Amino acid sequence: MTVTTASTSGDTLEPRPDLVTLTIDGVETSVPKGTLIIRAAEQLGVAVPRFCDHPLLDPVAACRMCLIEVEGMPKPQPACAVTCSDGMVVKTQMTSAVAGEAQRSVMEFLLINHPLDCPICDKGGECPLQNQAMTSGQGDTRFDGPKRTFPKPINLSAQVLLDRERCVSCARCTRFAEQIAGDPFIELLERGSQQQVGIADDVPFNSYYSGNTIQICPVGALTSAMYRFRSRPFDLASTPTACEHCASGCSLRTDSRRNAVMRRLAAVDPEVNEEWNCDKGRFAFRYLESDRRLTSPLVREGGELRPASWDEALVAAANGLKTADGKTGTVTGGRLMVEDAYAFSVFTRRVLGTNDIDFRPKGSSPEEEQFLAARVAGRGLGPTYADLEGAPAVLLVAFEPEDESPIVLLRLRKAAKAGTRVLAVAPAASRGLAKLDGTWIPSVPGSEATALQNLAPDVVDLFGQAGAVVLVGERAAASPGLLTAVGELCDRTGAALGWVPRRAGDRGALDAGLLPTLLPGGRPVADAAARVDTAAIWGAAEVPETAGRDLPTMLKAVEDREISALLMAGVQLDDLPDGAEAALRAAEFVVVLDTHDHAVVQFADVVFPVAAAPEKAGSFVNWEGRVRPSSQPLRTSLMTDARVLSVLGAEMGVAGLESDPVALMAQLEEFSGWEGARVSPPSVAGAPPDPGPGLLLATWRPLLEATHLQSGEPYLAATARAQEVWLSTGEARELGASEGDMITVTGASGSVTAPLVLAEVAAGAVVVTGNAHRALGASGVRVQVAVEGQG
Amino acid sequence: MPLTPVLSAHWDEADSYTLDGYRRHGGYDALALAFAKQPDDVIQLVKDSGLRGRGGAGFPTGMKWGFVPQGDGKPHYLVVNADESEPGACKDVPLMLANPHSLVEGVVIASYAIRANHAFIYIRGEVPHAIRRVASAVREAYAAGLLGQNILGSGFDLEVTVHAGAGAYICGEETALLDSLEGFRGQPRLKPPFPAVAGLYASPTVVNNVETIASVPSIVTNGADWYTSYGSEKSPGVKLFAVSGHVERPGIFEAPMGTTMRELLEWAGGMRKGHRLKFWVPGGSSVPLLTEEHLDVPYTYEDIAAAGSMLGTGTPMVFDETTSVTRAVTRWLEFYKHESCGKCTPCREGTYWLVDLLRRLESGVGSDDDITRINEVSAQIAGRSFCALGDAAATPFPGAMKYFADEIALGTHTAASDLYDPVAATVLAGVNA
Amino acid sequence: MPSFLDPIAGFGVTFTTMFRKVTTEEYPEERKPMMPRFHGRHVLNRYSDGLERCIGCELCAWACPADAIYVEGAANTDEERFSPGERYGRVYQINYLRCIFCGMCLEACPTRALTMSHEYELADNNRADLIFEKQDLLAPMSSGMVAPPHAMASGTTEQNYYAGEFDRPEDSAAPTGTAEESR
Repeated sequence: MTVTTASTSGDTLEPRPDLVTLTIDGVETSVPKGTLIIRAAEQLGVAVPRFCDHPLLDPVAACRMCLIEVEGMPKPQPACAVTCSDGMVVKTQMTSAVAGEAQRSVMEFLLINHPLDCPICDKGGECPLQNQAMTSGQGDTRFDGPKRTFPKPINLSAQVLLDRERCVSCARCTRFAEQIAGDPFIELLERGSQQQVGIADDVPFNSYYSGNTIQICPVGALTSAMYRFRSRPFDLASTPTACEHCASGCSLRTDSRRNAVMRRLAAVDPEVNEEWNCDKGRFAFRYLESDRRLTSPLVREGGELRPASWDEALVAAANGLKTADGKTGTVTGGRLMVEDAYAFSVFTRRVLGTNDIDFRPKGSSPEEEQFLAARVAGRGLGPTYADLEGAPAVLLVAFEPEDESPIVLLRLRKAAKAGTRVLAVAPAASRGLAKLDGTWIPSVPGSEATALQNLAPDVVDLFGQAGAVVLVGERAAASPGLLTAVGELCDRTGAALGWVPRRAGDRGALDAGLLPTLLPGGRPVADAAARVDTAAIWGAAEVPETAGRDLPTMLKAVEDREISALLMAGVQLDDLPDGAEAALRAAEFVVVLDTHDHAVVQFADVVFPVAAAPEKAGSFVNWEGRVRPSSQPLRTSLMTDARVLSVLGAEMGVAGLESDPVALMAQLEEFSGWEGARVSPPSVAGAPPDPGPGLLLATWRPLLEATHLQSGEPYLAATARAQEVWLSTGEARELGASEGDMITVTGASGSVTAPLVLAEVAAGAVVVTGNAHRALGASGVRVQVAVEGQG
Repeated sequence: MPLTPVLSAHWDEADSYTLDGYRRHGGYDALALAFAKQPDDVIQLVKDSGLRGRGGAGFPTGMKWGFVPQGDGKPHYLVVNADESEPGACKDVPLMLANPHSLVEGVVIASYAIRANHAFIYIRGEVPHAIRRVASAVREAYAAGLLGQNILGSGFDLEVTVHAGAGAYICGEETALLDSLEGFRGQPRLKPPFPAVAGLYASPTVVNNVETIASVPSIVTNGADWYTSYGSEKSPGVKLFAVSGHVERPGIFEAPMGTTMRELLEWAGGMRKGHRLKFWVPGGSSVPLLTEEHLDVPYTYEDIAAAGSMLGTGTPMVFDETTSVTRAVTRWLEFYKHESCGKCTPCREGTYWLVDLLRRLESGVGSDDDITRINEVSAQIAGRSFCALGDAAATPFPGAMKYFADEIALGTHTAASDLYDPVAATVLAGVNA
Repeated sequence: MPSFLDPIAGFGVTFTTMFRKVTTEEYPEERKPMMPRFHGRHVLNRYSDGLERCIGCELCAWACPADAIYVEGAANTDEERFSPGERYGRVYQINYLRCIFCGMCLEACPTRALTMSHEYELADNNRADLIFEKQDLLAPMSSGMVAPPHAMASGTTEQNYYAGEFDRPEDSAAPTGTAEESR
């Protein structure tokens, strides 16, 4: 925007055709066509009061708070809904008595039915209604009648509470739910002063994005059960953080009081999460206060883990790892910040002297390793959220954005509304895809590669357009040949390729080289120049040159006694391949770095407690490859993973391992821009599933499930989606089942019973939503389906 | 001025609402005449006739039709606003009862002119008898080939859907009506875009009142000059005047624009026996009231406006001296409070406040401050609400204050029921005396 | 004046004072009554049925220029009710090492839960004991009161409480004791 005043007469500004010039409060300004008056005024520093207006929602002009005077118009106009036009003369409340009076009277109207319960309202102190009542209202009310009242809060969902009498009917929440989230589960009901937000009798507001409505509510009408009465705005210290839950990489604002997180809000980050986040990122932080937190080192003595001093534990761990003499493997999980992941990369190669390191959970494959090393690792930024928004077409492969990267779904929705075509190669047309108005390309689990190779020519042409994007999820690893096919499709069409892992630490771990064949920054272990380069940056003599083992191979090697010690960090038993327990039991020595006491810890010989994400400064790298810095909201006496590795390294004879996050990041930066050889892309033929009895299982992990990072938050857990079995109408008919019948799905290791939902499902497949992999196995296994009690 | 029955010419015939009854008097002849013209010529004809919307706002109909972009590749829609709910307005419902085919014929001609192939008639839900009559007329018209494919061999197709509202005054607002018709909650939409550009299903749409559309066939048959020979230059034509209230013979009188209230009152048999006129409201409760001194004001848009009121729906409500102005205004405001959709603040909260204040005056416990406040609050609503409902709610009290300030001031100490026996104003007056 | 009187003249003030009224206060044997609006130790008041007035709103903490007050609110439940309405003060602390007795907290209190007594003996030999907890500050139970948690009087809402229907008569009377309202 340019502000032209008389004083800038020296400049010769080229008139731009896409700008309109108008005068606001006597100041001439030029703004792009289509700009709303309220935005143009903001740019001049004039804040027009508003409630219903939100820059990311369509204007409604319902609250009438932003009435301003436009010359030539008989009535005051809502600044939030009128676009600027050339030659317009606008007077806001700063210069117009009409506008000021209009705003004052609207404020008076808003307050006549608003309760005076600010002292007990969670919004009190940060309330746009309070603030604007001060700036744009009058000191006293002339209303002396009875206020309209409603019984106190009602639940819109387990998490979201509604105080109807506080509502000013701005409809921000309902518009968010409908326009942004695509979950129109709340709507305004009744009329006149009885108008209120409500839900259908039988459908609670179980949206993954429901928390945003609380944040954008300009009064205290929507509050969260979790934060209710917990603190006041002036109690809170706000810290900018990055979300540790998924690879979307939201910027958050973490508010803490007395060293405890009280709440988290979505921070404004137009590049990434705009102004939104998901409920998991917003509400799941109580795990920090879990009584399963590890607070002191543990060492195994006489078969039992007992608390030990740091010195004792460090010595024990150093001795154990030294005894293993390089026959060690490192397994890390998705919670690691990139600095810590990098420290593991350095520690494993320099101190343990091996390339046996893997960050990937079960379901990984050598094909995936090659794919990641060749096409993703160390490639820097891109494709980005902005690329999604501008893409003519986006293809989703083995990726369910709503569950696996919810902010990607929001951005895709925004894109789809503006005309981007979204297509998905998936076993079923999910509700998430429907929200994107997407096209479903059916494929049963295991046959996605074939589906990609057989894409219709017009679909292929879509991706030949400039800016087209292919997003592939981490589940693609489980389908042989799929990542090969994805890579080939991108090569063939020129579409940009994005790999969207599920967990926040995955992309960082990849860039830090936590793969057996990969050094930091996408450098192949096999490349001599890369090794020299790496050794130089590390100040080490050399870097081990033999390619390491990936996770399944490592576990097998443990059982075969080729590896005797394991170093594990942030790994859940659930992340490990089936049968991993036997390997853990067989391992002679296991060192675990973790925040919580969980199943893997029970296999450890030495356990080091480490700081959780909100207790340290660092960063995550999101799926785009964007670094998401996170400050430290909470003080702690616990050390970061990097610091523990540094002292452990010193104990093992390698002194001076860097542990300062800033220095670690700076060092990792040195690895960027690798122009040498890369690991070659995979070339794996697809292996269509064997014919057999039963149906092919398709399942993926839901956003909300009972994991330890979501523990301690019952209100959030109560909004999780119930498990469902999806069958096509044909399969259901064959089964003699109808919608809502309880269906039992039986796999090799267990069974799941859930209600049937008739959906568009690829022939020969059954979708079990929710966390089915524990009971049934991964996608692609054959399962038997029967109506409960039959078969 | 004499009565000029056009729409109402044959309402007294037993089968006036049937296709046969309508055809007996040249019904559907206008259709062939219209089809003989180009659609644009039909629009021009209506423009020339000066026909203005009879729903209350009085927007020139031909101009409205002309706003519909042609050749834009989108479907066009005609929507007939038959959601007559204004207190005091009762002209569309009788018209639909007695002469639904004039509406259907008008719908076909209007649709032809704006090139719409689907028309909707949105009828107020509380008048099932009117809905049945219109639905049966549409059925008859389909059967006679006057609707459907290739009407009268003209090559013009038209589907007509009769839709029943669910009982909300706000759905008489054209954009709220469109929302309701689309299956949403009836609340007014942000304009622009105007319905002529993006209305029903985001397509160009014309929303017209029943009487407006029903007037079209007679204009096509008789020509624009015939129409403009009635009324004034700015308010041409004839109109249905529905007189209600404290008159001997309430009813609908079709007369040229420019007829005076005095004439209407005469036709209606004058005031109730033994009573005299106190005030009258020219066009529904949303317009300021007038008094005896305005009886000779010609019923035209411009003259009524000059007298300080609005023509509105052209349905005068007449009140005699048994009526309490305070009570009447309170009832109107209670109506607006009940019907306010809740979307915008001034209307939602303002009507709530006004009713609270007015009830105090009505029950005699008001104060001078309350009277000032009602005026102020009305002014705070006017011009600031989202749609015209708020403006309508802000109208009655200031209008009443103009002529009855003294009576309203009595509300500071005496209840309206003490001053004006509520029963005396009703037909029960004297029954139990 | 004769010079021999000079030594005596020097005692003029002394002798005069001997016959003046003494101002010595016999503290702590005798305690003078404080002025009615004296700012002494705080009291967290109750309604006449024993429910706490404090709603845990923290406005006192917000108003405090010395940051001497710490409050944590919590939700009343039907099973466990400490105050009328939805919210009560679960934690209430005043740090008398910081308090400057300015009374801003009283101004801020929306329910008159917080008032100041005439008690001024606030000295101790350690810091911890000078942080008064909620149980130290709450007004003692007087007759007719039932210790919370308990339900609101049947058929009432918090509005009845806020409207003064459960105020003890002495609340508005002249303050006398330490636990009485003194503003």
